[in-house]
Amino acid sequence: MNATAQTGQRFNYFFGLINLVAVFCIVWLLWYVFMNPNTVMKLYTPMYGFSLVVGFLAAVVLLNNVAGGYPFPEASTQRFGPVQRGIAMTLVAVLLMLFLVYIFFWGFIGKFGIAYFSPQSIIASGGQGAEIFNARENASTAIVYYFTAFLFSALFWSAGFGRWPWQNDNRAVTAWSRLFAVTFFSGIIYILLFHPHVCYLFYPAQDKAGVESWWAEFAGTGSAFFGLGLVLCVLFWIVASDLLWDGYPWKYLEKEGESTWGKGVVVFIVTFVLGVIVLYVLMQIMNYFWDEPFMGGQYTDGPDFRFIHAGEICGFFVLAAFILKHYFNNFPNLNSLWMGAILRTILAVAGGMLFYWFYYSPLATFFLGKVPGIAQPGDTSLVWTILFLSVIMVQADFFEGWPLKKKGMEQNSG
Amino acid sequence: MKRRTFLKSLAATGVATSLTGTGALTREARARKKIDFGEVKSVRVDVLSETSWFDNDNLKKHMLDYGGAMTNQYDIPWDWDNAGGYMALLTVTTLEGKERKILLDSGWNNDWVDYIYEMNNIPAMLKSGEIEFMVISHWHLDHYWGIESTLKHKPDITMYAPKTYYPEDMALLKGAHLTAKNKEGKDVHVCKNDVPHTGKLILCDPDGEKDGIYNPMPGVAIRNFDVPILLRVRGENVFYFNVKDKGIVTVTGCCHPGVLSLFSYARKNFEGYKPYGCYGGLHITLFETWDPKFDDIIKGVQAFEIQKLACNHCTGWIWAEKAAAAGIPVVKGTDKYKSYKRQSTVATASNAFLTNGDHIVF
Repeated sequence: MNATAQTGQRFNYFFGLINLVAVFCIVWLLWYVFMNPNTVMKLYTPMYGFSLVVGFLAAVVLLNNVAGGYPFPEASTQRFGPVQRGIAMTLVAVLLMLFLVYIFFWGFIGKFGIAYFSPQSIIASGGQGAEIFNARENASTAIVYYFTAFLFSALFWSAGFGRWPWQNDNRAVTAWSRLFAVTFFSGIIYILLFHPHVCYLFYPAQDKAGVESWWAEFAGTGSAFFGLGLVLCVLFWIVASDLLWDGYPWKYLEKEGESTWGKGVVVFIVTFVLGVIVLYVLMQIMNYFWDEPFMGGQYTDGPDFRFIHAGEICGFFVLAAFILKHYFNNFPNLNSLWMGAILRTILAVAGGMLFYWFYYSPLATFFLGKVPGIAQPGDTSLVWTILFLSVIMVQADFFEGWPLKKKGMEQNSG
Repeated sequence: MKRRTFLKSLAATGVATSLTGTGALTREARARKKIDFGEVKSVRVDVLSETSWFDNDNLKKHMLDYGGAMTNQYDIPWDWDNAGGYMALLTVTTLEGKERKILLDSGWNNDWVDYIYEMNNIPAMLKSGEIEFMVISHWHLDHYWGIESTLKHKPDITMYAPKTYYPEDMALLKGAHLTAKNKEGKDVHVCKNDVPHTGKLILCDPDGEKDGIYNPMPGVAIRNFDVPILLRVRGENVFYFNVKDKGIVTVTGCCHPGVLSLFSYARKNFEGYKPYGCYGGLHITLFETWDPKFDDIIKGVQAFEIQKLACNHCTGWIWAEKAAAAGIPVVKGTDKYKSYKRQSTVATASNAFLTNGDHIVF
């Protein structure tokens, strides 16, 4: 880091780039050990590995965005530096992920409530396809969808409602209250968008527990990839406004620096509409290259693939937005907030396209052990994207940016 | 900037550039020149074996234990006793009334393939040249690893195979004994071939020999779809037959590209397209499980107005049964498969599959 950066006058972009490369290598190592289908743990089956990765991200978001760091100290103190705090919080996030997947879903909810959350309960119920591989994949699918709903609710609540209506309460009250609120809305979203799909993963379909996908006629598919794609497209705008636009324009609706009911509602409506628009645009672009999809089409012809692919593309945008924010100090920092926001958004989209190119190029085959080609059944870029995002968030939030951001360093370009 | 140019440039760094490194999954949206690849009087498919493995759970357990659906198939020490194989004999009757035979795929377990071949007089047809050529639909173990059983009767047979092979695939074709390590680190036999292929090998890609297809005889087209497939395989060759007065018939090994995508391709590219029938594995409920998108395929088949659908292998019994119940013209099989020395554990009394020993004429 150069002297000017240390004085807080100028951000060292080269150091940011080095940090990004280091994080990329850490992600590669994690992928190599846990996910790569040709190496050690081979957890990318894909849904089993997917459930663990998205479970970890959910644990990170729960600790950071929902609980606001509670019960850990708000930031590093004289007693605990960013490294100790980061290690402790990462460890807790890993344990939380293991608890949520194996104890909460597999051992508790799946065992005493909704059978499809537990591979053992699916096997115990017997019938067609009730063996460990399929049972684990189906249970993992349900868990992935639940965590998706949770991530959406949590990130939306963080950007929209913030600490409202508990802004005057202490950290513990805020953390627990937000957890219950987010969990409640996660349940609603899960039931509406994903539960019908999971109920129809079995033969015969569990049609007394879940309705047939209500979106099938207009979406051209009964798959919940419709909801997954939509949620991820909306999430892109939530992340973009929160990170790249410095929380604007929503901040205009704040009172005394705190979120309001009105702000939350506006954020929900506007990001939803923008999400629908970006989903539509991405679908049109895919139609241009691959022609219109049709019901029952497979690979790139399938509407289900088109929806998840739109979500995967937005996932790349989100990843690029996080990188721009945390490793390149939200470049460019202009006097005009809006010009800066527009340029950052364009950079995030361009960066996302670079990740897209990487993931579907022979490089991903080399680095990740991925089979070449698009629309491989059982392959979704979301797993790698989420793993990458998790590592970035761990560094940025748990380690407070260490070692890129040293204590006292102001990240502000001159 | 024109809308088309704008959209193209917007997506160019993403969708399009990715394809340059991954093969041609894309189909350009512009108007195409329609292909006329001739006609046949009829085509008959004899199901030699559609039973690639006998016990689903056994196969899945091996996949699970060694890394799941994207693991390299050559790295899994499969249970040899569970292996069967997929093969079909296609008999084309030309407009002049001449019968010409083609072998589709060569199965997996050599013992099973030899047993099936003997039952159906395949060795004699290979030796005499009555079977003119063979097509390897794709490089999956259950369609290809039994290649020695074919080559030992006709090492110089002309062969069409996907260009997207891996080194192990070509090593086996040239003659090799391949093993995989089990959990204890011991080498386990997975496949072998002691009879190197000496004939003409036509490696197929989506460009085809002309207009995206290979046209070995009038009315018969082979088309390669470069799609990613589980167990680290890529690309599948499929047959199109243009049956006079009836329409297009597809015949597939696994149909990984999707049966409706095949008909969609035919609709866009073949002169006078009329959907008629399909035969083969349709790669839907491979492991007899369900997903809402399989209901999509039932609705899609209805929309495409396919007149005669005969399926087996990786289609999944439950899809075939649900499709038949939904009114799709599924051609039922017989009980002949029960006279074979082994049967699949998922076969049911519904006869929704056209299975071992059955045949269909389009």
